[in-house]
Amino acid sequence: MTVFAAASLTDAFGELAAIFEERNPGVEVHQSFESSATLLTQLRQGARADVFASAAEDEMNAAEDDGLVADEPEVFVTNREVVMVPDGNPADIRRLRDLARPGVKLVLAAEGVPAADYAVEILDNANARYGSGYKRQVLSNVVSREADVRASVNRVALGDADATFAYASDHTPDTRERVEIIEIPEALNIVATYPIAVLKDADRQELARQWLELVTGQEGQRTLEKWGFEPA
Amino acid sequence: MKGKGGKGISSRVLRGDRIASGVGVVALSLVAGFISLPILSLLLWTVSEDSWRAMATPVAREALLLSVKTTSISMFFIILIGTPAAYVLARASFPGKRVVDSLVDIPAVLPPSAAGIALLLTFGRFGLLGEHLEAFGLTVSFTTTAVVLAEIFVASHFYVRQATVGFSQVRRDVEEAAMVDGAGRFSAFSRVTVPLAFPALLAGAVMAWARALGEFGGTIIFAGNFRGITQTVPLAIYTQLQSNFDAAVALSVMVLGFAFTVILSARYLLRKAAELEV
Repeated sequence: MTVFAAASLTDAFGELAAIFEERNPGVEVHQSFESSATLLTQLRQGARADVFASAAEDEMNAAEDDGLVADEPEVFVTNREVVMVPDGNPADIRRLRDLARPGVKLVLAAEGVPAADYAVEILDNANARYGSGYKRQVLSNVVSREADVRASVNRVALGDADATFAYASDHTPDTRERVEIIEIPEALNIVATYPIAVLKDADRQELARQWLELVTGQEGQRTLEKWGFEPA
Repeated sequence: MKGKGGKGISSRVLRGDRIASGVGVVALSLVAGFISLPILSLLLWTVSEDSWRAMATPVAREALLLSVKTTSISMFFIILIGTPAAYVLARASFPGKRVVDSLVDIPAVLPPSAAGIALLLTFGRFGLLGEHLEAFGLTVSFTTTAVVLAEIFVASHFYVRQATVGFSQVRRDVEEAAMVDGAGRFSAFSRVTVPLAFPALLAGAVMAWARALGEFGGTIIFAGNFRGITQTVPLAIYTQLQSNFDAAVALSVMVLGFAFTVILSARYLLRKAAELEV
């Protein structure tokens, strides 16, 4: 069975795949983790998969419009955006506002990647509070647009960049020691909703439905919570 | 070939020849078809989906300009430093030569993504060298310099290797004769050795250039991805794939045309050089 999932789901779905394989002997779960936008492009170009889990409603809606989805998509988890800085916080970023300071090296995921699009929405929200030049100043600090959200977190973990926008769930054990989190005020933040659906071209519809049951069930939700997601 | 009668030999040879050439034709068609089909698909998509319009977008223009700029700078350094280095590898013998020789080959067998990580750990802000550069206020990551470094790292092998082979095929006595005739070591090198090795040097330069143009893994991991600064054509293609498939196709066609032009010019130069020698 093949699962196409947003890059932010890498760890949680990896763990769930192990549980799923144990419960269904002989079944192998192949997972492809990329930005939701890349996965959508691949599906449009005829890539075969059984399940699509997107980090944004937009990509799932587009998949639905193109007739790629078998059933009504289901929101299974939510995720909030945070700002991440390297351990020790070399650029001394305490608040969202500090991102506009000249010389801060900010990385974002590429345009079209949900995590980055949410970041821009947050900057729009913050514009109202910090003044109209805020968003422009922050965006002028961007030094790189990485392939997906995990790549931008890695840039910060290595200390090459001073800050990035990512999901709370990207604060994984792998990066926890090298990255610090700065929370975004709730009033400005965006809550990302993750829809999941069985695909029309699925060779293994039955298994795919079982995967959805696992993900939306108690055990799946617990695992996702462990990895920093919030239940839907 | 064994045969008893004259006629037997020729017909058997003929049949063997036919089978051999049949296999050859099939194999060659497979090779040609396998290469031309994907190229054809790219072109067909461009024409039918109007994606050629995307070639005029700023993203495409900036990416192509940056690719031209960075590969030119890379090739300048590769030829400037690679030529004397290759000459020493071809002519001199010194302790540790085998080690150096193998070292030159490593970037060719190393996956570019591994090269990117290695470069990041060297020149990144907290890298082995990067940390010291940072102390002088020099930052390499997220700059065009980083792109050039990645290109030189992965591409120099192809030039140095070919040039070494080219130089070692130039007979020593020809060089020595030039020096006996009063030419200095440097002018013998530049007037005699380099022209004689020219076809090999050019072939190596084209290979290295092609490798630099295609550089992706090292650049995206080490240099970053920003329009006009580090986003070369391969990175732009990958980035456009996220949001605009037509633009990604258009960029692929553009780089294909660019590569084709360079290969044709190189062939033309080689032919000219061969004519001059005759």
